[in-house]
Amino acid sequence: MRIIVAGLGDVGHQLAKKLSNEKNDIIAIDIDENKLSRLLDSADILTLHGSSTSIKTLQKAQVDGADLLVSVTSSEEVNIMTCIIGKKLGAKKTIARIANEEYLEPDNQEYFAKIGIDFMIYPEDLAAKEIVNLINRTAATDIVEFQKGKISVIGLRLDKNAPIIQKSISEVSKLNPSTDFRVVAIYRAFRTIIPKGNDKFLPNDQVFVISKSEAIEQVLKLAGKKDIKFNNIMILGGGKIGRKVASLISNKMNVKIIDSNQHKAEELAESLPQTLVIQGDGRDIDLLAQEGIIDVDAYIAVTEDAETNIISCLLAKHLGVKKTIALVDKVEYVPLTQTIGLDSLINKKLIAANNISRYIKRGELLSYASLEGIDAEVLEFKAHFGSDITKDLIKDLDFPKGAIVGGIVRGDESIIATGNTQIKPGDRVVVICLPDKVSEVEKLFKQL
Amino acid sequence: MNYKFVFHIIGFLLALTGLLMFSGIPFSIYYNDNDVIDILISGLITAFTGFLIWSFTHKNLDMEIGKRESYLIVTVGWFIVSLFGTLPFLISGYLPSFTDAFFETVSGFTTTGATIINDIEALPHGLMFWRSMTHWIGGMGIILLSIAILPLLGIGGMQLFQAEVAGPVKDKLHPRVQETAKRLWAIYVLFTLAETFLLMLGGMSLFDALCHSFGTLATGGFSTKNQSIAFYNSPYIEYIIIIFMFIAGTNFSLHYQVLKGYILNYFKDSEFKFYSVLIIILVLFTSIYLTLNNNINFETSFRQSAFSYISILSSTGFTTVDYQQWGPFFTEIFLILLLIGACAGSTSGGVKIVRYEILLKNSLLELKRLIHPNAIIPVRQNGKSIQEEIIAKISGFVLLYLIIFGLGSICLNILGLDSTSAMGAAAACLANIGPGLNSTGPVSNYSSVPDLGKWILSFIMILGRLEIFSILILFSPSFWKR
Repeated sequence: MRIIVAGLGDVGHQLAKKLSNEKNDIIAIDIDENKLSRLLDSADILTLHGSSTSIKTLQKAQVDGADLLVSVTSSEEVNIMTCIIGKKLGAKKTIARIANEEYLEPDNQEYFAKIGIDFMIYPEDLAAKEIVNLINRTAATDIVEFQKGKISVIGLRLDKNAPIIQKSISEVSKLNPSTDFRVVAIYRAFRTIIPKGNDKFLPNDQVFVISKSEAIEQVLKLAGKKDIKFNNIMILGGGKIGRKVASLISNKMNVKIIDSNQHKAEELAESLPQTLVIQGDGRDIDLLAQEGIIDVDAYIAVTEDAETNIISCLLAKHLGVKKTIALVDKVEYVPLTQTIGLDSLINKKLIAANNISRYIKRGELLSYASLEGIDAEVLEFKAHFGSDITKDLIKDLDFPKGAIVGGIVRGDESIIATGNTQIKPGDRVVVICLPDKVSEVEKLFKQL
Repeated sequence: MNYKFVFHIIGFLLALTGLLMFSGIPFSIYYNDNDVIDILISGLITAFTGFLIWSFTHKNLDMEIGKRESYLIVTVGWFIVSLFGTLPFLISGYLPSFTDAFFETVSGFTTTGATIINDIEALPHGLMFWRSMTHWIGGMGIILLSIAILPLLGIGGMQLFQAEVAGPVKDKLHPRVQETAKRLWAIYVLFTLAETFLLMLGGMSLFDALCHSFGTLATGGFSTKNQSIAFYNSPYIEYIIIIFMFIAGTNFSLHYQVLKGYILNYFKDSEFKFYSVLIIILVLFTSIYLTLNNNINFETSFRQSAFSYISILSSTGFTTVDYQQWGPFFTEIFLILLLIGACAGSTSGGVKIVRYEILLKNSLLELKRLIHPNAIIPVRQNGKSIQEEIIAKISGFVLLYLIIFGLGSICLNILGLDSTSAMGAAAACLANIGPGLNSTGPVSNYSSVPDLGKWILSFIMILGRLEIFSILILFSPSFWKR
């Protein structure tokens, strides 16, 4: 596919790199030459210096006939303008990054489609939803659900005293002969491993398990975790994300939201009647103690400043909060979470980039997700009649290294795959793989 | 440093070189020469060594490479390929001295075209074909060929592309570097076939036409005849070669745009305009001068001057005439031309016109900047302003280029060449042209240069082909520091 990416902020940078790795032809436009040359060093793409709202620049980028135009600059106006012009100049599909929740309402979609915007992405909204997901599934660091939760991939961080530490995967499966779950990826020391039977679990590993819904309890037990019902939530930062999270959960839980800006705090208090709004500095221990941080179940730091969020989460962790979630928009920091002991980390730019590539993949795939912060993709395919994947038992197939079949949904039944499983036409198959193997796996599922 | 990957790619380069060696065998068989076995053995040794290195490093290969690895691959790759490229000469016994064989091979791969063989026509056809083939491989670049063939390089391919392709700014023709490499090679092959066909129409045999097309499009200059193109004594053949030398000296991404239908783009490119105007002025001046002073008719003097100037500027180095005999100041003119070169992104060598264009514009703008000290006055090229860092890089390149030229001339002078010959040889080898001046000039060759001089020139040729930085960087301590 030929894709034009306008705006190489963090979202554009990640997206261009990702799409290029997935064998798309990428032309990137930005007004900052440094951003272009930075990306050229790490991705096989073509760069174009100029403004994406300029007709000349878009024509130079061969927008006519381009399969997709993605505009993800930091300015909503520029993005909308770029898409409108690009569509008129002949782009087949357009995606704009926006910063206004209203545009996403179903009633307005038609209007935007008419002026030339096919899909809109609102990173703050996506981040808020992801946070709510994590609060509901308290033991996990990541959750991706398939087929309405029949099968899900969950990420867990192993503590020193988890029962399976220092045991290999095959030992664990001997002790627990259940076939309802399977380890599909381990993230350790900045590397993603697609594990084999003799790989051992080590403390601080982030382990990704595919599991049937009924086996999740068992998985959590093995990992030494427990799902707890959260009641008291504290949010630091009353920006778009904080506000959205508060509005989504404040009817079920006690939510306190802290913001240092007097004016903003007053505004929040007005729009969120069920939430207690506190004006103050989130790094102030006295203030936190006063507001009962001891009793807080989950602490969510979503200010604009990544360092503030990380530090205050570490502080909260130190004070005994069970779960901390930090918004960290610096992509460079993402791999650090594990080393410094943060529970979960949200990067709205990565989420946005993933969401866009999910939209792009939507044709071939049933669904698609990337595990935040680690190099692995979770893909859901439909096995077609006659495609290579259905021809043999999994262990006898020429399945690429660095990829693993996790689970299968066949009708109402869900199956966790082993080497002896045979995939049948019509199955929905969840595959976990390293990013550079995606195209190889796709080939196996190709319809004849 | 990811040595495994470095070796892996070098193994591939060797295997590819070995396979290409076989290409001369059909001609050897056809002309009933005695070198079939020698070439077969050379090809097998090279391909097999390459294959062994390739397969030994195949397991658990980490594909991630950075700038260091790519510079190492390009430089070491070029040296090793040149080393194995000597095998056909050595095994067949036509060039028993390793120094001579290495010089000839490096001269081939770097598309210099400087030869130490006195009687070229005595070579068997297979060997002669390999000699021209080295030009053709080196012209567009063996690394670029690997990028086009190997699907696995990805971003590493981009780094390699940067390290091998000549010119201050590297144009991509397509978002993917592999597709870019494929397109560049496709244009190259297309032009080669076209020239071969046209030369055959002029009465050349397929063998000679292919060899000369290889020599032209790569801007090499190896001929299959002792007298080079003068042997044919055919204006038609000379005009064909003039045209294709000119084409080979032009930026290939311009050719690509034109082939895609944007014909006017030639005339929108300022470097191309400089290149054409320079040639037109030189040719007009010289042909009038020759007609008036040397009693040669206008057509002949036009053809001879066009051939000589384009041959030297495009760094090809074919000859039809001894231009040093034209008049008293032509030696100086040609010495200056040896230091210029043709367009960036072409197969030609030398400093390249675009670098001079930018430096010249910058120097002239300096006058304006003196009067308006606070004004921002960018150097423009093709309507775009050139970043300061690119100008700094170009200045650095030109300075290093001149230093190497100077040092090379001094060394050759010490080794016994007269000063004009020494300067001519150093400049002609550094710019990958071939014929220099006086004893290494258009009617002589490099066989009289002492052995040490040949080694120095071989090194200079590779320095010139890879545009200095890619090689010198390996000698800088910061390259090896972690």
